[in-house]
Amino acid sequence: MPVTLRTALVLALASAVGVLAFCWPLLIDPNQALAQGTDAPLVLAVVLLSVLSVVFVALSDGGIDVKAIAMLGLLSAVGAVLRPLSAGTAGVETVFLVIVLGGRVFGPGFGFALGSTTLFASALLTGGVGPWLPFQMLGASWVGLGAGLLPGRLRGRGEVAALAGYAAVAGLAYGVALNMSWWPFQLGGDTALSFVAGDPPVENLRRFWLFSIATSLGWDVGRAITTALGVVVVGRPVLAILRRGATRAVFMTAAAAADTGKRPRTGS
Amino acid sequence: MIAFEQVGVTYPGQSGPALRDIDVRVEEGELCLVIGPTGAGKSTLLQAACALVPHFTGGLLSGRVLVAGRDTRDHRPRDLADVVGVVGQDPLAGFVTDSAEEELAYGMEQLGLSPGVMRKRVEEVVDLLGLGDLRGRPLADLSGGEQQRVALGAVMTSQPRVLVLDEPTSALDPAAADEVLAAITRLVHDLGVTVLLAEHRLERVVQYADRVISLRGDGTAFDGPPAEVLASSLVVPPIVELGRLAGWDPLPLSVRDARRRAAPLRARLAGSIALVPTAKPGTGPRSAERAPVSAPVGPASSSPAVGATASEPPATAPLGAPALTVRGLHVRHGRVHAVRGVDLDVRAGEIVAVMGRNGAGKSSLLWALQGSGPRSGGSVRLAARGDGVRLAARGDGVRLAARGDGAHLPAGDVDPATLRPSQARRCVALVPQTPSDLLYLDSVHAECEAGDAQGQATTGATRSLLARIAGAVPAGAHPRDLSEGQRLALVLAVQLAAGPPVLLLDEPTRGLDYAAKRRLTQVLAERAAAGVAVVLSSHDVEFVAGCASRVIVLADGDVVADGSTRDVLVASPVFAPQVAKVLHPLELLTVDAVRAALAGDAMAAATR
Amino acid sequence: MVAVAPAVGSRSGEPTPGRDSTRRRPTGRDRSVHPLAWWAWALGLAVAVTRTTNPLVIGMLLAATVLVVVVRRDDSPWARAFGAYLVLGVAIIAVRVAFYILVGIKAGGPVLLDLPSIAMPGWATGVELLGPVHLTGLLAAVYGGLRLAALIVCFGAANALANPKRALRCLPASLHHIGTAIVIAVTVTPQLVSSVVRVRRAQRLRGQDDRGLRSVLACALPVLADALDRSLALAASMDSRGYARSQSGRSDARITAALLVSLVAAALGTYGLLDGTSPDWLGLPLLAAGAVIAVGGSVLAGRRVRRTRYRPDPWGLPESLIAACGLAVALLLAGALGMSPDGLDPSLSPLTWPSVPPVALVATLLAAAPAVLRATDPGAVRSGGSR
Repeated sequence: MPVTLRTALVLALASAVGVLAFCWPLLIDPNQALAQGTDAPLVLAVVLLSVLSVVFVALSDGGIDVKAIAMLGLLSAVGAVLRPLSAGTAGVETVFLVIVLGGRVFGPGFGFALGSTTLFASALLTGGVGPWLPFQMLGASWVGLGAGLLPGRLRGRGEVAALAGYAAVAGLAYGVALNMSWWPFQLGGDTALSFVAGDPPVENLRRFWLFSIATSLGWDVGRAITTALGVVVVGRPVLAILRRGATRAVFMTAAAAADTGKRPRTGS
Repeated sequence: MIAFEQVGVTYPGQSGPALRDIDVRVEEGELCLVIGPTGAGKSTLLQAACALVPHFTGGLLSGRVLVAGRDTRDHRPRDLADVVGVVGQDPLAGFVTDSAEEELAYGMEQLGLSPGVMRKRVEEVVDLLGLGDLRGRPLADLSGGEQQRVALGAVMTSQPRVLVLDEPTSALDPAAADEVLAAITRLVHDLGVTVLLAEHRLERVVQYADRVISLRGDGTAFDGPPAEVLASSLVVPPIVELGRLAGWDPLPLSVRDARRRAAPLRARLAGSIALVPTAKPGTGPRSAERAPVSAPVGPASSSPAVGATASEPPATAPLGAPALTVRGLHVRHGRVHAVRGVDLDVRAGEIVAVMGRNGAGKSSLLWALQGSGPRSGGSVRLAARGDGVRLAARGDGVRLAARGDGAHLPAGDVDPATLRPSQARRCVALVPQTPSDLLYLDSVHAECEAGDAQGQATTGATRSLLARIAGAVPAGAHPRDLSEGQRLALVLAVQLAAGPPVLLLDEPTRGLDYAAKRRLTQVLAERAAAGVAVVLSSHDVEFVAGCASRVIVLADGDVVADGSTRDVLVASPVFAPQVAKVLHPLELLTVDAVRAALAGDAMAAATR
Repeated sequence: MVAVAPAVGSRSGEPTPGRDSTRRRPTGRDRSVHPLAWWAWALGLAVAVTRTTNPLVIGMLLAATVLVVVVRRDDSPWARAFGAYLVLGVAIIAVRVAFYILVGIKAGGPVLLDLPSIAMPGWATGVELLGPVHLTGLLAAVYGGLRLAALIVCFGAANALANPKRALRCLPASLHHIGTAIVIAVTVTPQLVSSVVRVRRAQRLRGQDDRGLRSVLACALPVLADALDRSLALAASMDSRGYARSQSGRSDARITAALLVSLVAAALGTYGLLDGTSPDWLGLPLLAAGAVIAVGGSVLAGRRVRRTRYRPDPWGLPESLIAACGLAVALLLAGALGMSPDGLDPSLSPLTWPSVPPVALVATLLAAAPAVLRATDPGAVRSGGSR
């Protein structure tokens, strides 16, 4: 899935909507209807779902290479197999391993798609479809996108180290962002750690920080560390296997084929 | 229907072309068989016929391939979907949906056919291929043969005029393979579909072929009527080998043809067999079995009670003490009672083949023998390791003890189920149905080193075993890039590195060509000669006839036959190898045995 | 999973093949309801639940939801997940209450339990741990938790009742490619699980009894390599069976423009939704306009995918009724909130007993109605089908 100018624009706009949707507690005006009740995450979930759909219409308009589709399906299945395992193993978010390493090898566009399809397939299989899903999908897609955007020339230890660092940061950011978007919803309005619509962002951030410490921050940090360790441990062999798959899936370029005069054809 | 015009294919990064100068025309309605050794380009030729070469696999196509008048250079595989149907080796890997009926409709959905047409064609194909009972079932629950028939049906709904089948039966047992082949011949005869078929086990298909394309191994090919091509082909079924040996012209392709021509050969052999003193394999001491041949049997006499034959498998080591003793073994998987009270003694140096239908309990038996599979009743005892092996193990015992990983084995008989995996593998080795499950490193070299470490063998032991088994295997190669035969050899080497006195193999011949099977036969014979007890399960009667000294037939978990290979196989209409069918009632199982008998005859003639 | 029902052929006056041919195979018994109907019903209930804080009303709707699920679900993995949703709901209420007791803002009202209050150090100013537990605050926490729990359970109900594989068949044509990837993932996952089991078993043959890192790698790498090899085989199979045959490989400028405009509208609309200073039209109206443009672009893109559906899931009267039930419940409660908010938002100061407004009774009956709205195949009914 090559990233064309159009894809880049689409991804940038979708990410802008995503940032608004994730950070809504910091931005919302107390006079707006969404500030009350429990509507905001639901409405924003609908918006995000529509935006993700538009992104995928744009990504697949004009056709995706059939090998990319099959690869996407198989890697999503691998992620969906791994995801339930991670619940039992000290918070290793194993699904991130697949998304980060897959995004790294197959590029940012594929990484973006992989993040969404993995979480969607996993939610379908485990009966986990709900308003949280679009947030999770977009979050995971960003993780895959970012992995694809890391500098391409790194190889060997440097690459694994960079990916491990990235996985830690991305894992932490993913947890915090999801927590942020669901914070007002989870806690209700009547505690000292609750979200107060219209407060200065700094105040809300402070309360959110305390809320995170009280709830999931420890878990998020643990997950970030274990995910990074996971990348360090399996990174090299898994990257090798994925690269092997990638080289088997792409083939001879037109330049290499130009040697012969017999009007040779290569695949698209 | 399919025309290859001066076709050559070169893959990127390869020094030579995979195919060159292929000039073949396959006419409408023909069943054309593609044969050749592994790596000769069979798959490439098939993929060129459905445009996967070069559009999907890459590489350089020179010349021209026309399929139903369409040039594959200008048509992608998807543009040929309405004229060419492709079925591969592993049907499950090609399924997109998970129920048979949806899979049948999938291709038509992609072609954009109207719902009414789709419904009609699905019903037609269901009737044509007898898929009525399968249509609503999940694809993963079907047997291999059923899956392959659904895969055939799934391409037939698009009503192609050409079928390209890449070893459609290589992963199937004989009954399932017959099922699929019957479906294919039905399509050829009733619908006039043109079929391009690659197959390893020629004995199954060669009698149905109208034309054979034989790949020489250097990228070139020649084609013609089957009997003509097979006369000079590199790979041939046993029956053709027998025909070549006997000098029959034209070569017979079916048991019926051969049998009609075999009377003189039978007469000659019946005379010579009696002259060749060989031993009958058995479980008792050899000397007692060495029945003296009383008098030459006349050529006219075709008594089935011929005392001894030359068909002895190459296992010639004297049989030793029992290495494996099984009493009243039961295995249950949930409600399925897979193995029901099996008693079995396997002696050192014996090669035992376990045969039987799919689901007869062969795999369950082997896994229970190894100890890690479930066992719901009975006992399995492994004899203490032989002296030589124990000495070798003691040699590095200090190092092992220092490592403290409990490498010391209990003395005397052991039950493998009570051993830890690292101990068990030194007593008994199992090569599972999918050998590649055991491989996880990225080079042959790394796998060998891991094999040494895990098998507590000396450094380089696995590597030298591998060299003995498979010859030169590039150390830097990725295990998944090896051929099936090389991969099996690597797994065998890894498993044998620990020097286990018992070796179990579950369906080792899947996907192997004749050369690889011959090699495996030699390797197993060598191991047996070194005192290893071998138990293998196989559907391949020709392989078993050449390899095993004893055959056990399982049916529904019960042992229904147990005896020497010759006694069991010759008597059975299902398990008799082609040579035995042709030469019945002579008890000769393999071409090698016939050759030996004839040589003995010639020798006798010379001395007479 | 039943073969062709013999009843189909044997009965008299069977529908013309042409009409029946596009239908799912009649099974002679209840056919399963279209998954989207269940989603419509559950979403309607979810919206309704968020309209009220009255625990009695929420409890009634919750009971109706559970009733429908218990009556209508089948024995599939996703249906079995419903129990987990109920546990999650209880956990949500417990967490709310715990947070209220621990760090709640202790406003007035009758005191239930007088705990000592602990002030936090400087970096957490304004936060006091524990303190007196007031009935008002505790009830507010329980009500809020109950509402959220009911919302979650509504989604659990949709997950339990709607078959996800059939729901995937309803994706629009423009999402065909990505939908195919998900179909593949959903199909292959059980097979990958069994190959994990197989590889683990095989690795033990090598003597891998260390449970550490190496055994994880030894299991994961063959499975992953298998998956990649398999993806190539699958792609070849799809390609030679005509997948994406009509695709040109070029994108259409009109589609691009529509998609980009809709995304800009989504970004501005979301901003307008959150920001109070921007004009009103910059909120929902812009989002709606963006959605319309996106649908237009998607339809255009979908036209370029030439593909038909074999036996699409039928949408009949039962589906319409089930979806209508959900919609009606949502509308009833939203309307009632507009007219008389007191019934749906019981006052906590002064503390009053929540009452059940009549409209809630009607809504509960409607919500529970799908428990008996069975979709039977018309042919099977006439031939005296199995039920």
